[in-house]
Amino acid sequence: MRDKVLHAPPDIDLFATEQPRLENALSRRIGADPENVERGLAQLVLTIVELLRELMERQALRRIDAGGLSDQQVERLGTTFMELDKRMEQLRAEFGLNPEDLNIDLGPLGRLL
Amino acid sequence: MIELVAITHAAAPPPPARLRAIPVGGLLAVVAPATEEEATAESLWRREELVEELMADCDLLPVRYGTRFADDEDAAQAVAARHATLAAALDHVRGAVEVSVRVIGAEPRATHAALSELARDAVERPVQPPQVLRGAYLVDRDMVDAFAARVAQLQAAQPGSQILCTGPWPPYSFSDRP
Repeated sequence: MRDKVLHAPPDIDLFATEQPRLENALSRRIGADPENVERGLAQLVLTIVELLRELMERQALRRIDAGGLSDQQVERLGTTFMELDKRMEQLRAEFGLNPEDLNIDLGPLGRLL
Repeated sequence: MIELVAITHAAAPPPPARLRAIPVGGLLAVVAPATEEEATAESLWRREELVEELMADCDLLPVRYGTRFADDEDAAQAVAARHATLAAALDHVRGAVEVSVRVIGAEPRATHAALSELARDAVERPVQPPQVLRGAYLVDRDMVDAFAARVAQLQAAQPGSQILCTGPWPPYSFSDRP
């Protein structure tokens, strides 16, 4: 590492947690060159879809827990989310994306999902 | 395709090889040929070394990595459009450098206040635990040693605290503060 340390604390390793985050932020960047632009866009769009899907699922679970839904409605919600999950998997496969690729690093705010 | 590296005063000495300076009304837009390389920790360090080499001889505003223009005319136009802001920001950092401080296990407010006394300007950045303070300080070039000494003092005065101080850096955190 380049010597840019003006004052080192007794335990400098305590500060080493930022390095992996930087590497991660670099690798999680959306590739915008011509060959990669389609995959980059798909990554961005699918990330947002995945975020909405998870929010909907959480909201549905909350309503099920609150007991305001009939058995039939709960059954239908369950099937819907299973179908959505399957469809997301297909879309990801189509663009060669892993589940991890949709988990964008928001820097200080942590991971999106 | 060219990449904008930094903004300096027109009176700055000629930039090192590989770099060219485009005059824009009292300012210089320092540019390099754009490369196809990926953004990696290594390429960011190479850019950092380039900017630091430039910084050794003159005051400058570092430009965000990956700022690209089609040609000299495009770059000059972009700089001309923000000329007043850039000139003011350049005056603000004249003769100073950025010093970064990260703190664990000390009182953040008092630490930040004590360090700000030795700085021309200061900004706080968002922190992640266990860090309690992450600050950038604009420090006169001849005050950097005194600043580092103050850091050592603050750490000694707060048992169990950990304070990391790095620099001198180009004034990244003060490039948009006139």
